[in-house]
Amino acid sequence: MLEALLAGFEAALRVDTFIWVSAGLLLGMLMGAMPGFTTTMGMSVLMPVAFLVGDPLIGIPFLIGVYKGGIYGGSVPAILISMPGTAASVVTVMDGHELSKKGQPRKALDMALAASVISDFISDFLTLILIIPVAAIVLGFGPPEIAAIMFMSLVIVSVTATGPVLKGLLMLGFGFWLSFVGADPFSAMERYTFGTTELYDGFHLIPMLIGLFALPEIFNAVRAGDRKRGRVASLVGDRLSWKELKASMRTILRSTGIGTAVGLVPGLGQTVAAMMGYIAAKNASKHPETFGKGEIDGVAAAEAANNAVNGPTMVPLLTLGIPGDNVTALLLGAFMMQGLRPGPTLFETSGAIVFAILIVMLFANVIFWFIGYYSIPMFSRVVTIKKSLLIPITIMLAFTGTYLARSNPFDLVTLVGFGIIGLALRKAAFDVMPMVMGFILGRELEYSFGQTVSLAGDSLLQFALTERLGMTAIVVATPIFGTLIGLRMSRLRKQELIRGG
Amino acid sequence: MANVSTFLLRVTRAVTTSGVLVMMLVGGPALAQYPERPITLITPYAAGGSHDLNARVFTTYIQRYLDQPVVIKLVPGQAGQKGTLEAVQAPPDGYTLIFTDNYRDQLYQHTFRNRHYDTTADLISVARVNYGQVGLIVRGDSPYQTWQDFEADARARPGELKMSHSGLWAAFFVTAGQVMKDRGIRLRLVPYRGGGPAKAALLGGDVDISAGFPSSLVADVEAGVIRILATAGSERTIEDVPSFAELGISASAGFMHRAVMAPRATPADRIARLRAAFAELQDDPDYKAAMAQMGENTEYLDGEAYEDERRALGNEYAELAAAIAAL
Repeated sequence: MLEALLAGFEAALRVDTFIWVSAGLLLGMLMGAMPGFTTTMGMSVLMPVAFLVGDPLIGIPFLIGVYKGGIYGGSVPAILISMPGTAASVVTVMDGHELSKKGQPRKALDMALAASVISDFISDFLTLILIIPVAAIVLGFGPPEIAAIMFMSLVIVSVTATGPVLKGLLMLGFGFWLSFVGADPFSAMERYTFGTTELYDGFHLIPMLIGLFALPEIFNAVRAGDRKRGRVASLVGDRLSWKELKASMRTILRSTGIGTAVGLVPGLGQTVAAMMGYIAAKNASKHPETFGKGEIDGVAAAEAANNAVNGPTMVPLLTLGIPGDNVTALLLGAFMMQGLRPGPTLFETSGAIVFAILIVMLFANVIFWFIGYYSIPMFSRVVTIKKSLLIPITIMLAFTGTYLARSNPFDLVTLVGFGIIGLALRKAAFDVMPMVMGFILGRELEYSFGQTVSLAGDSLLQFALTERLGMTAIVVATPIFGTLIGLRMSRLRKQELIRGG
Repeated sequence: MANVSTFLLRVTRAVTTSGVLVMMLVGGPALAQYPERPITLITPYAAGGSHDLNARVFTTYIQRYLDQPVVIKLVPGQAGQKGTLEAVQAPPDGYTLIFTDNYRDQLYQHTFRNRHYDTTADLISVARVNYGQVGLIVRGDSPYQTWQDFEADARARPGELKMSHSGLWAAFFVTAGQVMKDRGIRLRLVPYRGGGPAKAALLGGDVDISAGFPSSLVADVEAGVIRILATAGSERTIEDVPSFAELGISASAGFMHRAVMAPRATPADRIARLRAAFAELQDDPDYKAAMAQMGENTEYLDGEAYEDERRALGNEYAELAAAIAAL
């Protein structure tokens, strides 16, 4: 195996490979930065490029570049115009856009990039080292364990929400209920569709996110009018300093660990990782009250966690031939078109090439840093655009992005509807984040719990206690864990009240 | 002002770069007769699925014989109903086609209610591009050496053995339903989001049996991780592995026919032009090589022949849908 690793290292040192990776990264970033144009769609459109080139050390690194660039690119509109480019960057909106409003878009983008690149590098390195030994662990996670993790995430989201606990719980419940709209996945029974076909698949995530996060910002910007502004140079703010990066290093490393673990389990995904990383950072922080109000650490936590997922998703794909989501399904197709068959024999038959691909993936992060670093000044100038021009552009992006996602006119209604809901909730000082998480986690929890019941058959209790001790342990630990975090949070809230007067 | 134009310039540049890239790949000289502009191929499923992958391959090569690019438009939703409706309602001018399959085309009218269209009356086959042939699979260390072993155990413990499948009414689910109906056994069906997770469930020991496309399981079989108990069809495709027909399962079960169709009102000469292009594609070595690499066959059936095939399937499926729903 070491021999293959060394041969791979040698094979990876090719100029053309790195040129193609750069092209992939750049295209991925631009696509990710287009709201509604998901990473999966970008990869699917560029797939023919990969197989027409016909060299595994060009085609696959190219697509991996698109993948990495896309997950980072989503954070750009999230930070600048409060519009998550992909679902993975929802959590980034919270602090990223606040920083942007405070005149620090450059700092926020720099942090998003630094956190993404560092976590990508570490998680890719871990993937390279651990790919063979950890493959077996992956299979230990089935629907029962995923359901338990989802349950725990829901509890933690509800106790760590900003503002009064009751409001957080209400929003969580609302999001949870929204996730039930549509045909249920086990019997196709329609729920809350009012007999329409439009709601058959439930609400689509992208218009909901753009509606909840971007439209209220647009309304507010319109109401605020075009204030007089100073010089352009000062408006985009300072770049990120070494000191600030060092201060966030702990957060980045913690989020990388969380993201890597989440990536290994097929089916959890970037959004869950970003949320967990963010909550962990908030919980560990000495000043959790600054989270959600433009905390640079919050950007680092979310972006490090969502990018750390990318590398480890290759583990189940390459060693077992199991794609966990649509992105990896596309990569599986790309590998097969190059004559590489992911699965238990891949490392024996084509070890050198596969290691070369993983090594290219690792070094692509250096290029990733450069491309990102030099594109940020250009991107961050978006905030210097006059409002009378920026607002129409943002509105256009919101509607085209919504339509682009799946060419469904009904999604535009969803967009406007959630825009109004978002505005009303903001007026009433409700945090929409628990609602979004309730929606995302609700679907996953319902599906994995349904699968668990189906696997368990007659007795769920017996199944939990005899076959699925891992699931049981997580479920039992959840209330204890939740109470501890909840108590700490409410203590901090009280302190804040006293300090506030 | 300058900032706005820079920003817009970047955006347009991004869009055109990717556009130009695609055009460079698929572009060709335009002719005065049909088709004189790009053709849209609606795929009613999500990006990254097997339809998407297959379509990416054949649309790359079909433009050599149509002199126009074929652009994929993904319209996922409602088990493919969304995209089908869009194709049915498109102007029948040969510029909108749909890449569908036998389940979407003939079975779902019995399982998902729909007032807007009747696929058999509204769509006409251009070509069956290929098919996916399902196999029944168990883990390499499973106690079941043959299908008979499994069936005997399933009879002894009705409703206890678990089978993972790729989602409600998707390819592996329908196959499972057909097997249970024809053999009179009862399994506990557990849905997963697609074939990948369904395979993971088998390997992880969550379920006793699953289904898969044997062509994509070559590596697993070689490594002894997976054993194939039976493959769909009347003939054996793997030596030593019985076919469905040998085991008393309908020979038409377990086939996912992937077909390109057009609105039925499309002018006959345009349908003929499209059918001819797909016929020519079958002699393209690059196309065949690309599909083979992906583990997909190129078992083409011309449009006319597939029209008969789909009618036959349609007659079978009314009964099948009722039988599966009753299981």
